[in-house]
Amino acid sequence: MVSKESCRNEIRAAIRQLSDRCLYSAAKWAGEQLVGIEQDPSNFTPSNTRFQRGSSSIRRRFSTISTPQPSAGFSQPPATPLPQEEDEVIDGDLYLLAKSYFDCREYRRASHVLRDQMSNKSLFLRCYALYLAGEKRKEEEMIELEGPLGKSDAINRELVSLERELSALKRTGAIDSFGLYLYGVVLKEKGNESLARASLVESVNSYPWNWSAWSELQSLCTSIEILNSLNLNSHWMKEFFLGSAYQELRMHGESLAKYEYLQGIFSFSNYIQAQTAKAQYSLREFDQVEIMFEDLLRNDPYRVEDMDLYSNVLYAKEACAALSFLAHKVFLTDKYRPESCCIVGNYYSLKGQHEKAVMYFRRALKLNKKYLSAWTLMGHEYVEMKNTSAAVDAYRRAVDVNPCDYRAWYGLGQAYEMMGMPFYALHYFRKSIFFLPNDSRLWIAMAKCYQSEQLHMLEEAIKCYKRAVNCGDTEGIALNQLAKLHQKLGRNEEAAFYFEKDLERMDAEGLEGPNMFEALVFLATHLKTNKKFDEAEVYCTRLLDYSGPEKEKAKSLLRGIRMAQTDFPSMDMEHFPL
Amino acid sequence: MAGLTRTAGAFAVTPHKISVCILLQLYAPSAQMSLPFPFSSISQHNRLGLYLLSLTKSCDDIFEPKLEDLINQLREVGEDMDAWLTDHLTNRFSSLTSPDDLLNFFNDMRGILGSLDSGAAQDDQIILDPNSNLGMFVRRCILAFNLLSFEGVCHLFTSIEVYCREAHSSSAQYDESNDNLESLIQHDQMDMEKYIMDKATEEIELQKNASGRVPFHLHTPEALFKVTEGLLVTRKEKSRTNTKKAEATQLACASSSTVDDTLVDESLFLRTNYQIQGFLMEQADAIETHGSSLSSSSIESFLQKLQNLAPELHRVHFLRYLNKLHSDDYFAALENLLRYFDYSAGTEGFDLVLPSTGCSMYGRYEIALLCLGMMHFRFGHPNLALEVLTEAVRVSQQHSNDTCLAYTLAAMSNLLSEMGIASTTSVLGSSYSPVTSTASLLSVQQRVYILLKESLRRADTLKLRRLVASNHLAMAKFELMHVQRPLLSFGPKASVRHKTCPVSVCKEIRLGAHLLSDFSAESSTMTIDGSLSSVWLKDLQKPWGQPVFSQESGSRKSSTFFQFCDHLVSIPGSVSQIIGASYLLRATSWELYGSAPMARMNTLVYAALFGDSSSSSDAELAYLKLIQHLALYKGYKDAFAALKIAEEKFLTVSKSKILLLKLQLLHEHALHRGNLKLAQRMCNELGGLASTTMGVDMELKVEASLREARTLLAAKQYSQAANVAHSLFCTCHKFNLQIEKASVLLLLAEIHKKSGNAVLGLPYALASISFCQSFNLDLLKASATLTLAELWLGLGSNHAKRALDLLHGAFPMILGHGGLELRARAYIFEANCYLSDPSFSVSTDSDTVLDSLRQASEELQALEYHELAAEAFYLMAMVYDKVGQLEEREEAATLFKMHITALENPQDEEPNMA
Repeated sequence: MVSKESCRNEIRAAIRQLSDRCLYSAAKWAGEQLVGIEQDPSNFTPSNTRFQRGSSSIRRRFSTISTPQPSAGFSQPPATPLPQEEDEVIDGDLYLLAKSYFDCREYRRASHVLRDQMSNKSLFLRCYALYLAGEKRKEEEMIELEGPLGKSDAINRELVSLERELSALKRTGAIDSFGLYLYGVVLKEKGNESLARASLVESVNSYPWNWSAWSELQSLCTSIEILNSLNLNSHWMKEFFLGSAYQELRMHGESLAKYEYLQGIFSFSNYIQAQTAKAQYSLREFDQVEIMFEDLLRNDPYRVEDMDLYSNVLYAKEACAALSFLAHKVFLTDKYRPESCCIVGNYYSLKGQHEKAVMYFRRALKLNKKYLSAWTLMGHEYVEMKNTSAAVDAYRRAVDVNPCDYRAWYGLGQAYEMMGMPFYALHYFRKSIFFLPNDSRLWIAMAKCYQSEQLHMLEEAIKCYKRAVNCGDTEGIALNQLAKLHQKLGRNEEAAFYFEKDLERMDAEGLEGPNMFEALVFLATHLKTNKKFDEAEVYCTRLLDYSGPEKEKAKSLLRGIRMAQTDFPSMDMEHFPL
Repeated sequence: MAGLTRTAGAFAVTPHKISVCILLQLYAPSAQMSLPFPFSSISQHNRLGLYLLSLTKSCDDIFEPKLEDLINQLREVGEDMDAWLTDHLTNRFSSLTSPDDLLNFFNDMRGILGSLDSGAAQDDQIILDPNSNLGMFVRRCILAFNLLSFEGVCHLFTSIEVYCREAHSSSAQYDESNDNLESLIQHDQMDMEKYIMDKATEEIELQKNASGRVPFHLHTPEALFKVTEGLLVTRKEKSRTNTKKAEATQLACASSSTVDDTLVDESLFLRTNYQIQGFLMEQADAIETHGSSLSSSSIESFLQKLQNLAPELHRVHFLRYLNKLHSDDYFAALENLLRYFDYSAGTEGFDLVLPSTGCSMYGRYEIALLCLGMMHFRFGHPNLALEVLTEAVRVSQQHSNDTCLAYTLAAMSNLLSEMGIASTTSVLGSSYSPVTSTASLLSVQQRVYILLKESLRRADTLKLRRLVASNHLAMAKFELMHVQRPLLSFGPKASVRHKTCPVSVCKEIRLGAHLLSDFSAESSTMTIDGSLSSVWLKDLQKPWGQPVFSQESGSRKSSTFFQFCDHLVSIPGSVSQIIGASYLLRATSWELYGSAPMARMNTLVYAALFGDSSSSSDAELAYLKLIQHLALYKGYKDAFAALKIAEEKFLTVSKSKILLLKLQLLHEHALHRGNLKLAQRMCNELGGLASTTMGVDMELKVEASLREARTLLAAKQYSQAANVAHSLFCTCHKFNLQIEKASVLLLLAEIHKKSGNAVLGLPYALASISFCQSFNLDLLKASATLTLAELWLGLGSNHAKRALDLLHGAFPMILGHGGLELRARAYIFEANCYLSDPSFSVSTDSDTVLDSLRQASEELQALEYHELAAEAFYLMAMVYDKVGQLEEREEAATLFKMHITALENPQDEEPNMA
């Protein structure tokens, strides 16, 4: 098994190596995991536990699920040895200068300083600096060359030379795992995905602690087949990778299991908590997610990452005050993050100020053009503003960013339905259902489309509602509609069956309302005509509990039943005139 | 979303424009410059001027020539001073070493412009009038440069470096590339014949025309003209360039095709929106024109690049849709169609044409529905298509888009008439359409009629000429196939003429073709000097490279002049397409009415005049008709030879009918030669071509089972043949295929005749005749009469007289218009009649019989119809025997024997085509 101590040692060394190579975000990630490891009570110092205070609250609350022992899974790999840093006394000085240039974001200068250095570390830093310089120039060019028809495809001009150099190094074998990572990134940028994957796999197999490499690899795993085909050494970092990859592939159960397992070691990791919350959010467990995020914010009050998700939860729960508090806090932390803009947009949307919401979503999109949820949310706002063509445009962009986004497909369908094009909308609903086949809301939307006045394809609507029922219709629309449709088509038996089921559901949830009256009235009448007077009477008496016209109806029905019951013989007698 | 705003930077300075400026400096050197005046004669100077004029005109085009191309052109223009010109050009470029040089260069450019007021220039200085074309160009360049930010200047500078570097790297291969150019152009010319459009162009055109008054096809909408004078060239010209590119793409290896290369090179300076839109329209045309002969992947990769360059240009998605449509990729086509309309709400590309009318804030989703409906139609989903079109009708009514409504109705009627739909109630069922709702009790035919009328009315009021024309043609088709019946025929008073009306068919066809006269009035606005100048440029590139303007080449000049004229009176492609279609329809109707020469003539007219510019499937149809004609009237040898030619042409077209024709011919041939196994196989393959969906490919299905019945008949399996024919008749009845019914009835009569059951055959023959009468199918009627006569004779020799009378009645038609087989049959039958007539004596009147038999045998030998030929020779031998001409008898007998053995041992050597 992997002991917490060995994990800790590995990470400590890794953070140093990563920051030596200026891979800051990977170092940051590793640092988060480092303090996420549960401390041994033996070397307990107050400073060590500072980060962990309060973290256990969530665990206390949700400790029903038995945590698997961390010993269970990690079949100890032939432990990847931590690479020893080569002693770089000779080029050490230049390296130090270059690193400080790099830290001041003077990338070209940094790479120039290292131009003749041959050690692996210097080599990597030089290439990496060059790459970043190219990226920076690319961003600038994109703005400079922006034409009337959108951005020109400015490219990172360093890619070609970098690829040439790195591939030569790779051929001679003089490349370390960081170089492989950079090579993978370059290849990915050039569109050579399979080679990029191979290079990244090689990189993470030889140096698993570089989270940036894992996340690049994850973005290249667009299907489960690709994911399964990767030949990865087992290491605890792989579990992190799999967790996030599963999540991206909408396999939330598997992903949750991975995180559950990792929590055995990294019990206080904010990252794991946020990822778990994300998965739970996709499973629509809003209450749980809210608690998790509250907890997260308590430990890490200046966190912006993933907070847009939290705002979505608050939006869904219509918690205005909490949302405004969150927005304020995040805005004070960093207002030029797409997440912050998105949160503010959500806030305005909840307040019904859709123009302002759109403005903030736009800002979020300006900061990150591929920010999926902002496109979708903006589409929702446009729908609210009845600007359907703008909504359609926004949704379509979301779909083109990520074709698996069922919300955007659904939004497209909705928009077209609003425009009175139900048949056209059906295609989009079908798409959205394809990506999320067991969501009753989508089925109901599609059924409504079929049911619409223009199409009037009731049989298809019935099929959809049936699927909705099978998916566990939470809003209880499907059963009622099924019953009504069958009633309309004159299939009283089926109608009665679904009314009864609906009634059961309402009883179980303790609901009342017009649907209930309707069901009761229909059942009573139906049973009466079928001469099941006893059962009919039960329903009638239930109706009597309520006031209004239904009561009168029940009374008359009851009278009819009594008459029928008592007059039955007399009616027979009519045939025998006295 | 913001893709349609025209920015100030619409006219961007590019390296090519700088080249032109450098040349302009040479043409009109400013007073300060110390350049020697290099021109040896005034005419040389003028030639350069003209060349520059055409360059400035064409520099709004989307593809700018590379430096290398420019140098090549200079070589041709400059004659003996070309070296000097190119040297100067390259030197000037290499002297631009820093952004500051650029600044100075444009400052110098000011010098060559004369000021507006100063008349006091030196005498020998050539001054550009600032308001002249060249002067305007220079001013625009200077202005555009002055508007550039420093970043822009830097970008210009780098792109100049790239521009020059390319020229250097490729100048070494100059000679080779010159050769390539020649071969390219030759290819281009050969390929001109191949210009073909797909059947779906009609639909696509409809879709495009759906935008409104200004048709798409004439892709020279006035609005565009004003903006980019030189950009748009007439259609023919464009397609020339397009093929050239296409050819080039095919020549070059797929990945690094020329189009792509050019485009990538241009990536540094994106064109203006209008240019790109215009360019995309051309591309759309090219996709239509070439059908699938254009490799779809090369278009795809080029579109991908374009999309990378201009992500906000949504028309790319539409092009991709068209491309996928032509390569029969349903899912990708659907996806791209939806994407296009999602992004642009159906307005991009359309409101370019109609800027004034604007669109409602709801977008133009009805056009999306229309397109989707047509797409489903093309992919053979009639029910889906009908649902979508119904929705399109509803939405366009809702948004009161009458134009779209007219097109939708036309599309709907087209759908209903093409697809075999037994009854609309099952399809339209619940979904209502205001047009069809009143007529829910009407038959499909009546519905088609109403839809057509409605569409025609709307199109008329909206002045959509093309739609009017194509509606007239559709109406003609309808009239051709359907007996006119009053829509509500109640009571005895309703006058019912159970006959089709050829006059009204003719009228409709003529109305359809009227379009041409309308357009010739309009076309004067379409000539622009932009097209002229690019023609000029094209001429320069001709391989022989003769000086176009030199005095001595009179002949050349005249041909150029002719070309100019050709371009001047060019008719928009869609118009010529519709007119071509009217000729084809004429041919079809003559075919049905039974006049072979007229049908052939009209087809030939079509093939000669419209073959180049029309859709591939129409051209294919024309070839089909001609080959069928050959087979019927000249025998198989010629037909197969012609088929071979056609095959090379059309096999790449998607949904090619050539394969179908080949199977038909092979089947026929096998049947005649008595090779029944082969016939059966061909027949089965034919049936396999049809889609399995109900109501789709009805024509093909009917054809296949008709042939099956005939094969069975030839194999003497009468009851089975009768069964097949019966079920076929039922299908025809169900789907209202009246004309096919007539031939099925005739076939049934034949079956009964062959099975020796003449009495049973008679009613079928009579029914067939009456069908033929009401649909005016004269030739079929003649052949039915022949069968009827044969049946009479089959009843006994005492009916010979009656049979002969019937035959003689039909003779003029048969001999005038019938095919080889029919004529031979008639001749043999005539002989038979005479021989079986007891009052006829062979010895006295042998020549009457022998003449017709000789005729028959000749025709049958051309046809390789062994069975009948044997019969003819047998009869001949008998007659000779009676007359006592023994030598001739022996000859006929050996021929008889030859045919019989041939019939009995059908060599399995398949005809070379198989």
